Amino acid sequence: MHRSALACISISLAALGARAGDVPPDPARVAALELEAGLAKRPFVYLVLDPQRRVLEIKARGAVLDTVQLTGIEIISQQPLLTRDLPGRPPIPAVWTVKNGPGDTDREIVAPKELRPAPKEDEAEAEPTPAETPTGPSPTPTPISVPPSSYRSRLANGWDLWITDRLPPQSAVGTFLAAVRDGWRRLRGLGEDHPPAVTLAMADDDARRIHHLMRTGTAILVAGEL
Amino acid sequence: MAADPEVLTPLEQPPPRSRWPLALALSLAAMLLVGFGSAAVLARLGRPFVATPFDATASAGATGADPANLRKHAVQAEKELEKVYPKGVYIVVDAYRNRLHLVKNGQIIRSAVCSTGTGILLKDPRNGKQWVFDTPLGERVVERKVKHPVWAKPDWAFVEEGLLPPTDPNERFDDVSLGDYALYIGDGYIIHGTLFKSLLGRRVTHGCIRLGDEDLEFLYRHAPIGTRVYLY
Repeated sequence: MHRSALACISISLAALGARAGDVPPDPARVAALELEAGLAKRPFVYLVLDPQRRVLEIKARGAVLDTVQLTGIEIISQQPLLTRDLPGRPPIPAVWTVKNGPGDTDREIVAPKELRPAPKEDEAEAEPTPAETPTGPSPTPTPISVPPSSYRSRLANGWDLWITDRLPPQSAVGTFLAAVRDGWRRLRGLGEDHPPAVTLAMADDDARRIHHLMRTGTAILVAGEL
Repeated sequence: MAADPEVLTPLEQPPPRSRWPLALALSLAAMLLVGFGSAAVLARLGRPFVATPFDATASAGATGADPANLRKHAVQAEKELEKVYPKGVYIVVDAYRNRLHLVKNGQIIRSAVCSTGTGILLKDPRNGKQWVFDTPLGERVVERKVKHPVWAKPDWAFVEEGLLPPTDPNERFDDVSLGDYALYIGDGYIIHGTLFKSLLGRRVTHGCIRLGDEDLEFLYRHAPIGTRVYLY
């Protein structure tokens, strides 16, 4: 967070590099700055993916709240084994928006079957309630499921964003076997095509801690060479 | 001396050659050929996941190529960013790590362990109404501060315990659970104290942010009304 001001300013100075000298500003950098200014107007948290520095920043109002270091960035797509047709390159800079993410759906549900009347103050309660100043052992909290370290979010542009703690191995044998498996599934009518996935690899704890940010509407500014 | 033909040992005939190894090898080869051929056919049908490097080269710059125009756009965008950038005292809450920071002029002046929302979804069996116990994300503002706060328990506090919400409003008041101070940040979300300090640092709340006594008092004294709160 100490770096937040510096990070914000660094974008601006990069864009305005020409102010001191006569070098014209980079159009892409100015476009990224404008996109971020648009995002920062709203009272929401947004993410900034900087593939050059391999970081994903969690920001609000232009300030960096937290930074996630990436260990890899790949586009993972389904392609025929021999005749590869590389997926189209997404334009950069751009704002991607999460259309449907695990932060919306991965929830534990608590649903009592029926409700009973609350006991009156002067009535004996059916169940013990915590004392005002508890002295004994603390109550056991409802166990919270740990977020997964690998999950996909669907983006509004039709692509997927795959957060994972490891990129899939890409050995020749592994790819061949994967193709055989997929071919067998397709032979049985089970195979399906997935959209290309921008895959961000990071430490497993980092993957877990941004899980709840992948909700509908979360904006991700993708800006190269900031 | 002539050899006695009677005592001559007849030449040992080599045992007839077994054809099993050859048959086995041929069978194996045939199986491999069929297996590999089938695999090759299946592989042609399949579409495995293939990774390609993410090309981060900028390819869009909608602002136009005129340097003077670009500079104007950049200055404008920078001004807009500076206008909204957090200044003075503000609060940052990390809802995953359960940490709250009080920041003044870009420097953290207090870090505290807190508790945040479980993320659990509660359903009311009477009407299917749902509550999600998330700590909200984004920017909020300290709208008001209260010493010795009283909590008017909402319906979910009863439904969660399997109880019918009372019809008498007086049965909803609780002057203990929120601790000594409360900072209201809108929509019923509060930064407040807790009776269960051993649960600090865990996601156990219904969306509010719980703090220990000393941290809460520090926050109450140093975060005026209007302080921005950034939750992520």
